[in-house]
Amino acid sequence: MDFASADAIAGALKLVGYGLAAIGPGIGIGIVAGSAIEAMARQPEAAGVARTTMFLGIAFTEALALIGFVLFFIA
Amino acid sequence: MELILATAECDPAVDIICAPSNVNELFEFREAMFSIGGFPITRTVFLILMIAVIVSGLLFFGLRKKSVLPGKLQTMVEGLVSFVKEGIAIDIIGPEGAKYAPWLISVFLFALVGNLYEVTPGVNFPVTSRMALPVMLAAITWVVFVVAGIKRQGIGYFTGIIWPKSVPLALRPLVGLIEFVSTLFIRPLTLAVRLFANLVAGHLMLTLLLVSGWVFMSNAGNIGFKAGIGVAWFVMGLGIFVFEIVVIMLQAYIITLLSAVYVQTSLYPEH
Repeated sequence: MDFASADAIAGALKLVGYGLAAIGPGIGIGIVAGSAIEAMARQPEAAGVARTTMFLGIAFTEALALIGFVLFFIA
Repeated sequence: MELILATAECDPAVDIICAPSNVNELFEFREAMFSIGGFPITRTVFLILMIAVIVSGLLFFGLRKKSVLPGKLQTMVEGLVSFVKEGIAIDIIGPEGAKYAPWLISVFLFALVGNLYEVTPGVNFPVTSRMALPVMLAAITWVVFVVAGIKRQGIGYFTGIIWPKSVPLALRPLVGLIEFVSTLFIRPLTLAVRLFANLVAGHLMLTLLLVSGWVFMSNAGNIGFKAGIGVAWFVMGLGIFVFEIVVIMLQAYIITLLSAVYVQTSLYPEH
C-alpha cells in the first residue's frame, strides 16, 4: 500500500470515529430535550427551571461529541 | 476566497472546488495589520481589543444617564445585565451570587461579542474559535471556583472531592478519583472545548456552504447549468447563518451558566 492511500484511509477512519462519537450524545440530547418538554407540559409554571436544567444537561451531554470533533482535527 | 483556493496546483476554472491545503488557513492571520510600540497587532488581536472597546462602550453609554424612563440603548443594556445577574448569578448560585455577577456579566458579554463576529458582515471570523480565548475564560473560571471552594470550606474542599463522605466506604477511592479528575481537569477542558468547537464548526460550515456556492455561481460561464447547485448551497448557507445566530447566543449563555454552576457546587458541596 502506498503512502497516499494509507493517508486517505486514515482520514476516512477519522470521519468514522467522529460519526461514532456523535451517536451517543445525539441519543442523549434527544432524551434530555424530550424529558424537559414533558416536564414543561406537565408543569408550565416550572418551565423556567426545566429550561435551565435542560440547557445544562445538553451542555454536559454535548461535550462528548465535541471532544470527538476536536479529535477529528488533531488525530 | 484566496484562502480557500490557495493550493498551487488547483485551477478553479477547471476543478471548480479546491480543497484547502490546511484548515488552519481559515483561522490564522499571521501578518500584522499594524504595530504599536514594537508589538505587532494581527487581525485576531485587533478583534479581541475591539471586543473590549465595544463592550465597555456599550455599558458606558447605556448606563451613563440612568433615566427613569429608559431609552432604547439603556433598556437593552439593562436587560442584558439583569438577565445575567438575576437569571444566571442569583438564580443558580443563590443570594450571594450577586457578588459574582460582575465577573459573569464580563464573561457573557465577552463571549457574546466574540461569537457575534462570526455573523458580522465584513468580519466573519469568530475570535473565540482560536483555542487561546476559550482556554483563558475556562482558566479564569477554574481559579474562581477553586478559590471560592477554598474560602468557603478551607482544605476540606479538596478532601471533600477525593474522599466524599456521602458515598459508602468501599466506593470512596473510586468515586474520589473520578470526582478529582472530573472537577479539576475535565471541567475546564470541556468548558473551553465546548465554546471552541461550536464556533469552529459553525465557521467551517458557513465558509464551506457560502464560498462553494459563490464559486459555483461565479463559474457559471464555464460549467453552464450546473451552476444551479451553487444556488442551492448558497440558500442552505443562509439557513445555517440563521441557525448560527441561535448557536452563538446559546453558547455565550451556556459558558456563563456553567461557570455559575461550578461556583455554586464549590460553595454548596452537598447539593
